[in-house]
This record gives sequence, structure tokens and C-alpha cells, in this order.
Amino acid sequence: MAEQKMNFFDKMQALDRRYIYLVVALAIILPLVIPFNSRTYVTEPSENIYKKIDSFTGRKDRAVLMCFSHDASTMAELFPMEVAILRHCFQRNIQVFTICFIPAAKPLMDYALQTAKEDYTVQSGVDYVNFGYKPWGIFLPIVLGMGDDVAKAVETDDEGRIVSNLEIMKEIKNYNEMNLVIDFAASAAVYIWIEYARARFGANVAAGVTAVMAADNFPYLQTGQLIGMLAGLKGAAEYEKLVDVFATHKEMVNGVETVVPREFSKEVIKDSWIKLSDIKNPVYKTARIGMNAQTVAHIMIIVFIAVGNIGYFVNRKKNKN
Amino acid sequence: MSFEAISNFVAAFFTLSIFSFLYKDNPFYKFAEAMFVGVTMGYAIPLVYYNTFIPFVYRPIFIEHNFIILIPALMGSLYIFRFSKNLSWLSRYPIVFGMAIIGMGVPLSMHAYVLVQMRIAMMPIDNINTFIIFVGTITILLYFFFSKAHKGVYGKITNIGIWYMMVGFGASFGYTVMARISLLIGRIQFLMGDWLHLMK
Repeated sequence: MAEQKMNFFDKMQALDRRYIYLVVALAIILPLVIPFNSRTYVTEPSENIYKKIDSFTGRKDRAVLMCFSHDASTMAELFPMEVAILRHCFQRNIQVFTICFIPAAKPLMDYALQTAKEDYTVQSGVDYVNFGYKPWGIFLPIVLGMGDDVAKAVETDDEGRIVSNLEIMKEIKNYNEMNLVIDFAASAAVYIWIEYARARFGANVAAGVTAVMAADNFPYLQTGQLIGMLAGLKGAAEYEKLVDVFATHKEMVNGVETVVPREFSKEVIKDSWIKLSDIKNPVYKTARIGMNAQTVAHIMIIVFIAVGNIGYFVNRKKNKN
Repeated sequence: MSFEAISNFVAAFFTLSIFSFLYKDNPFYKFAEAMFVGVTMGYAIPLVYYNTFIPFVYRPIFIEHNFIILIPALMGSLYIFRFSKNLSWLSRYPIVFGMAIIGMGVPLSMHAYVLVQMRIAMMPIDNINTFIIFVGTITILLYFFFSKAHKGVYGKITNIGIWYMMVGFGASFGYTVMARISLLIGRIQFLMGDWLHLMK
């Protein structure tokens, strides 16, 4: 029997998947090596986290708790947002606590603190405190215990110091003062904070999640059980921009470029555009550079889906005939 | 060669070994996979030992002589019998105590996941968004009501519910694609930036 001649769509549908991997790899590598400035639009859930944290500026009776609930496999999405939030806190003199309940999160938590600390003179126990790794088995007793007394619930910090003796704890008692909990997760860990810290004590809870988890969290944003959410790499890019536009805003003062933080404003963020090549530290723009590659990769995927669907309908029509 | 350069080289080798699976299964991929499992366990065991066993078992019993801790410690150690065919039933006892957490969580989860969601779904229909949510909630609830055949007018209404769910699945899938691409971007950023220094 004579072999039937394959048309373009037949060939595309029979294409070895490895060619698709190659095209996706190129779609990511080229925008990273040849950078361009794609615009980052900031969404309301990200703005709300920024505004809440910023409202704690300079206050000794307020603190943010960052809970690291992920391992290295989702570092690409969550690490940039963790660094951006820590930078925001250090820049604006906001007290911050860090904690984790899974062993694999411990080195990532330490790494995020080390990275964010580089450009700031902050002191452990005074400006921030790392509660360290606590076993998963006592997650719930700690979450509930913090509603009564934070220092009593965690007892010791990562360096083995008694938490109640630390200077940072002078005006911090429970969720009334530690008024924002942000859980960074690739899982449903944030729901434990919603279920216990929010429902029982009325704590403000926010989520920094991988994009996979984002869609599941929207009902909780709508009800106000989550005050804000950073969704995947896009959320991280948004927060990086918010920190650059407001918290680390630079102005020329007496001929010297000086950091002059400013209050959040919707008008300012709408019109602001930051040239990525002007940001010297690559860690501060990781997510935004990543979003350039993301944009190109998404266009490629849309083209693949369109070609695949057109091919399907063309072949179906041909088979019918 | 600096420590950072060596560590970057090792990380790049393992990243490329894992990526090699995209071509086909091979010994480099298997080696990297086994190494990952080994390193993760090797890291976790001492961390858990120093942060769980020492402060919550060893110190209270042997240093503070708080012997009441022996009861939960022995109860917890029954988990080890999971590995015995004849005595695995013993491991059910600590599980039973763990289940108490579920009982404690029922009222709070009812509040967090049901009552608050219901309250927000009963908002007055004063704009297009609340109207869309109202239609979606009703039609999807009707779709999952299986005591009546999905035919006629009722079938048409439940079809609207299916469309709503399709939009929801599409949004989830879109986010999932973004997440997977983000992970790849993260690794390529490492290879191109930290390792090869090709990124500006």
C-alpha cells in the first residue's frame, strides 16, 4: 500500500517531544542571556501585603512572622519573594521573625536571611530573630501557643537563646503584636494558619505560594481570611518592584544618590518603570528577569496549543471526508 | 578554584544529570536521583535528632527527670512496629492519639472552610462580580445534585455549572504551566548566571 503523504499538521502532531523541550529551553535561555525590560503590573493581593508590612514601619510593638514551608524544589518561585520581603523589613526597620517546620526548609531560611542581610546592618535578637527549625509534630501547639505568648511557644531561637530574653520581644506578646503571618508554601500549609491562627485568634494571614497553589487560595482572599497573596514568580516580581519603587526609592540629595523611602501610592506604581540594568545586585531582580523568560515561554506554549488544536480539527475534518 | 566555584560546578553537574532524563533514562539521572534522596535523609536525620529527640525526649527524661514524658515517648516508639508483620497492629495506638487533633480541628475548620465561605457567598448582588459568583455557586451546586437526571431545563442549568468549572480548571492549569516554567527558569538562571556567568 502506498504511503500516505503527511501534511504540516500531521508532522507537528507526530513531532518528537524532545524538539518541543529544545524550543522551550531556547525560549527561556535567550531572554535570560539577552535581557529586556518587560513591564511588571502589580496586583492588589501583592499590594495588600506590602501595605500591611509597611504599616509596621519603625514600630517596636509590631512584627511579621515568616514561616518557610517548602524545600529547594520550589525555591525558584518562593526564594525571590522571601528575599524581597526581608529586604522590605530591614530597609523600613520592621521587626521580623522566621520559623520553619520541615528540615529541608532550614537551609533555605538561613540562606534567605543571609542574602537579605548583606546590604543592611541588622542585628539578630534586636531587629530580627530566627526561631529556627521546629519539629512538624509541634506545629499546632506552636501556632496555638503563639496566640497566648510567642516567646513561651517557641522557647528558644536558632542560636539556642531563650526567646523571652531577647530585646526584640520586649513589646511583642502574641498575635496582637505579631500582627502578620506570611506562610511560604508549595503545599496547603497556609490553611493551618487560616484554620487556627486566623479563626481562633484573628491573626492576619498572608500567603506566598507557588503558582500551582494560587488558584486554590482565591476563595480565602475574597473572604478576607488571607489579607494578601504572592502567587508564584509573578507575585515575587511584583513585590521586588514594590520594594524598589517605595521602600528603597532613591533620590539625589546634595548631589548624592540616597535612599528616601516613600509611602505606597497607586498612582506612583501605575506610572513607574524600572530599568533592570540599573539594579546592581542580581538577587534583587531575579524574579523580574525570570518573568522576561516566562513571557517568551508562555507565547511559545500558546503557539503550541494553537497549532495542536488547529491540527486536531484539520485532521478530524480530513478523516470525516 | 574557590569553594563557591566548586559548589556551583557540583550543582550544575547534578542539574544537568537530572535534565538528561528529558532525552532518555540514563545512569547520570539515576545517580543524581539516588544522591538527592541520600543527601536529604542524611541532612534530615541529625537535624531531627538535635531538634526533636534531644529537647523533647532526652533532656526532659535524663536531665530534668520528668518521667511522665516516658509515656508519650514509649507510645511514639510503637510506630517502629510498622516494619513488623506480626506486631504492626501496635503502631495503631499512637495513630489513635494523633487522630485527637482532627477532633480538635472540627469546629475551627467548620468556621474557616464552611461558614465564612457561606457568609461571603450570601453577599447582596450589587455588582456584576457578585452576580457572576451567585450564578456560578448555584449552577455548580445543582450540577453536583445527582438525585435528578441532568435533562431538559435542569440539564441546561447544570451545563452552565460545567462551563464555570471548566474556567476554574483552565485557570488552575494556566497557573500550573506558569509554575513549572518558573522552576525551569530558576535552574536555567543558575546555570547561565551563577555557573557560566552569561547573564548580565
